[in-house]
Amino acid sequence: MSGATHSARGFWPVMGQAFLWAFLLAVGVVVLYPLLWMGLGGFKSNSQIFDQPFALPQSWSLENYFSAWRGVQGYMVSSLLVTLVSTVATVLISARAAYGLTRTAMPAKPLITAFVLGGMMLSPTVALVPLVRMLQSLGLYDTHWALIILYTAFRVPFTTFLIRAYMLDLPRDLDEAAMMDGASPGQIYRRIILPLCRPIIVSCVVLHILFAWNEYLFAMIFTNSPSVQTLPVGLTSMMSKHGTDFAQVFAAMTLSALPIVIIFFLTQRYFIRGLTEGMAK
Amino acid sequence: MAELTLRQVRKTYGSMEVLHGIDLDIPSGSFVVFVGPSGCGKSTLLRAIAGLEDISSGEFAIDGERMNEVAPSRRGIAMVFQSYALYPHMTVFENMAFGMRIAGLKKDEIARRVTRAAEVLQLAPYLDRYPRALSGGQRQRVAIGRAIVRDPKVFLFDEPLSNLDAALRVATRIEIAKLKQAMPGATMIYVTHDQVEAMTLADRIVVLRAGRIEQVGSPLDLYRRPANLFVARFIGSPAMNVIPGTVRIGPEGARLDLATGGGLRAPFPLDAGLAGQTVQVGIRPEDLRLAEGEPLLVGRISYIEQLGEVQLTYIEAEGLAEPLIAKLPGVLDLAAGASIALTADAQSLHLFGADERSLRPEPAAAVPEVTSARS
Repeated sequence: MSGATHSARGFWPVMGQAFLWAFLLAVGVVVLYPLLWMGLGGFKSNSQIFDQPFALPQSWSLENYFSAWRGVQGYMVSSLLVTLVSTVATVLISARAAYGLTRTAMPAKPLITAFVLGGMMLSPTVALVPLVRMLQSLGLYDTHWALIILYTAFRVPFTTFLIRAYMLDLPRDLDEAAMMDGASPGQIYRRIILPLCRPIIVSCVVLHILFAWNEYLFAMIFTNSPSVQTLPVGLTSMMSKHGTDFAQVFAAMTLSALPIVIIFFLTQRYFIRGLTEGMAK
Repeated sequence: MAELTLRQVRKTYGSMEVLHGIDLDIPSGSFVVFVGPSGCGKSTLLRAIAGLEDISSGEFAIDGERMNEVAPSRRGIAMVFQSYALYPHMTVFENMAFGMRIAGLKKDEIARRVTRAAEVLQLAPYLDRYPRALSGGQRQRVAIGRAIVRDPKVFLFDEPLSNLDAALRVATRIEIAKLKQAMPGATMIYVTHDQVEAMTLADRIVVLRAGRIEQVGSPLDLYRRPANLFVARFIGSPAMNVIPGTVRIGPEGARLDLATGGGLRAPFPLDAGLAGQTVQVGIRPEDLRLAEGEPLLVGRISYIEQLGEVQLTYIEAEGLAEPLIAKLPGVLDLAAGASIALTADAQSLHLFGADERSLRPEPAAAVPEVTSARS
């Protein structure tokens, strides 16, 4: 009897584990395989993609990648520029805002906090028409600045929200100790609070890069000329231009995804720590 | 040299007043301990002195110079926080150097001061470590080091020992006492709720309750001549026993009839107006001893805490809701459940009136023996 219950108790947890692993593996395959397939597709010829979609490429020729690079590099520069500038702007503004919202004796702070964080609720689509008019009248339409300003404006609330939550957990004693040490609010921010917020700042940087690199709606609407367009828009226009040359499209897609993948792996440590830090002291 | 004066200092949060007009003089070079139960305002008072809290009304001055509006860093004050508040991203060296860097001191001067403080506090091997790699006691010493490198006029300690374990607490307490000896000119203010820390460290204790000062005096002053029932119970461990008694004034002087039965001569002359009135009679546990002749108190032992040298004997006596505590020699053969007869010298009694104030007359002649010995 006791042996039977013991084996029954052993059986289900093992099965549960097995199912869990199988499920996670399946999810992994579903996510990763198309990416791999895309990368491999870049090495194939167009006919091979259609004839043997699941086979390995016949030759590992970089020809497609080189020609894709020539098509994509302009967009890549735009993407890099927009992503870089908007990331720096967003994180700097958000960190400073979060410091103000958590550390100063500003009047009507709850109201201002609600106002800033309420920005997260605003759907970009709703604001499109007025934004187009606004940026046109400012003469910023079809410039990198349009995207930089929009990406910054729309991501500041969320980024502020993340950094603010982190700052709320930093003990006030540190501020007061620095105050006793003679530090001004600006010095406390730069030399105490900001360095301590590094994990969440890195997380925010990565999140913003992911967003800005992949953003499509604003990029499509607010840019027109190829010299200003970013990768997502550029890839779409490449697809319509080389609609039949899938090998080159795949190569271009792989190239455009590569920087993000590299950044993620480089910052993964911070990224995961940033998301879990503060859960347990 | 820094003499601190507080005049009618009040602190309000909205409509709630937490400090109700504090008047206090802290002489230069003294070690003053603020003591009181949780929520008595002792930390708020300390933070007001530090400048971390605004003073709602009244005046706070250092060496006669008004400080109410002066920024914390310009008051010449250093503070050791309860949580240590070390900067986690800086090494021990950087933690101590931070204030001096902000002040723009020269590099070699900073290094010289940090090294000297590290030697005094035995932190020299740890200067390159981060706070997370230090033990609680070491962190505490870094926090103290950060205070002393700035060479302030006034040191503030906000319950600095409460995060340490018992053994380390005693060791660090002694270190703080030595630190004070090494810096006779510095004024130190120390907040604690632990009356043992207060008694051992202070040369003046300020007892606070609910935002008011109950009494200021030397540790022995407070122990021997508590001004009221609150101070009497707060200072001394275990706390003073309090027994209601009735005053009877006869031809041979005042006598007290205790609610537990028994009676004795009053320790000092009492005002005739008190005849027939109920007063509170305070007897310290250490002043009680086994009665050889006529007992003052009779009761039943309910519990014994044997500490070796002494045993804390809990005694249930008729007419009292709470047990009395007697500190009796550890060698006595006592057992729970047995009855016991105790007595005390009349001179050791403390008497408190209906307003809880001490009835002991304060002759000017009685005080100087203590104060003159200290000055």
